[in-house]
Amino acid sequence: MALRIEVDPEKCMGGGNCEFWAPKTFELGDDNISHVVDPEGDPEEKIVLAAQGCPTQAIAVWRDDERIA
Amino acid sequence: MTAPTVDASGPYPDWDPLAQYPIDPPGSCNPHPRLAECRRNTPIARGQGWSDMGEAIEALELYRYDDVNAVLRDNETFSSSSIREGMSIVMGPYVLVGMDEPEHKRLRSLVAVPFRPKSLAHWEDELVVQVVDQMIDTFAPRGSAELVREFTFRYPVQVIAVVLGLPVEDHAQFHEWANAIINVSADPMHGIQCSKDLRGYLAEMLADRRRAPQDDFMSELAAAELDGEVLGDEEIFSFLRLLLPAGAETTYRATGNFLYGLLTNPEQLDRLRVDRFLMTQAVEEAIRWEPPLLITSRVATRDTEIHGEKIPAGMQVVPHVGSANRDETRWERADEYDLFRESKPMISFGSGVHMCLGMHLARLEMRVAVNRLLDRCANLRLDPEAVERDNPHIHGETFRSPTTLPVLFDVG
Repeated sequence: MALRIEVDPEKCMGGGNCEFWAPKTFELGDDNISHVVDPEGDPEEKIVLAAQGCPTQAIAVWRDDERIA
Repeated sequence: MTAPTVDASGPYPDWDPLAQYPIDPPGSCNPHPRLAECRRNTPIARGQGWSDMGEAIEALELYRYDDVNAVLRDNETFSSSSIREGMSIVMGPYVLVGMDEPEHKRLRSLVAVPFRPKSLAHWEDELVVQVVDQMIDTFAPRGSAELVREFTFRYPVQVIAVVLGLPVEDHAQFHEWANAIINVSADPMHGIQCSKDLRGYLAEMLADRRRAPQDDFMSELAAAELDGEVLGDEEIFSFLRLLLPAGAETTYRATGNFLYGLLTNPEQLDRLRVDRFLMTQAVEEAIRWEPPLLITSRVATRDTEIHGEKIPAGMQVVPHVGSANRDETRWERADEYDLFRESKPMISFGSGVHMCLGMHLARLEMRVAVNRLLDRCANLRLDPEAVERDNPHIHGETFRSPTTLPVLFDVG
């Protein structure tokens, strides 16, 4: 089952850190905000690193109902 | 885009990297043993900071990863305003690293466009690789080089000059201005004058690009727009002057530290040489192990506390990012350069809303530099005689980079 990944557009500052850790999952849009382009784009641990490494804590990751990052 | 040309007029033979930076004079010792002791014994300590006027003031020093990360992420409680006060004399009023919200977010969003990974991909092959190759051309036939003076010191300034769209005949002047601005504390009058001269130079260039846009960074900044907001001229001049210490100085040092880590660990260098898929993690490890700048600074906006230590409003807080990166609870054998280590987020680029805007460009520059050196300089290695004579080591208590990188390679 795919992860549920949410980016809070209010917190996101468009640093592109998530794209570094999980480049097939996140993409910075022209609005300077990160968007999830494929929730299965990268291995789960990379997506978790992207969320943990987010400098503004804008990314939340759930597996089923459990928040894992 | 036409092929870039770099100013390859040879090394700066008179330039002494130690004399250049009075903040870390010769004889400065390796701070890492002291930082390790602080992490163990006094992870949150009252120490001495310096006001912009050079007066000693009380400051709270933070040494552990979690504490440093927490302060940098909480930009409401911990303001960056003190950095602005110190830098605005040479950068003008719009110093991005010293701004707080909401003005910071507006300016950052606008100048960030050319720094995104996707925007940078465009520069990599067309510009950065060619800059590196032209620099390597100057020493490749010789089979030896001193990579600090002949390569790392000049490389990021060349990249910025080329990406901005400066004509080659102005590169040497640009680097001279950059050095004076970076070292303003050593000679304030000279630094301020050079900052004015550079602003005048950039103003002519910007006016030109506003009239006739080209495929360069200056034109991108002139055209940047987000939610109807655009950049004012003074905002662009401040930002471009900030690029000199923030982009050129740090990347020159980080590239040197990366090369030092590889050259002093030849078995790791051999693996990287034949398996370039290791390059990304090799760069990350270099940045973790020896970040070019060890500290930053914040000021408490209100009374607060960390682990019970009271912090009154107005107090300076010093997060030791270089110490955080060697936090033994997060990395085993943290003092060792080990490119086989699994990468995880570290703090060299900061954290929070001020996280380094140029981090993708810095990584790209470091990756391209080492890839091309390994491609073109077969069997790249330290020169044992020069090592014996010059004792190369990573120097500095605030800024860190190698004193010298004497290398040999096979010409064939």
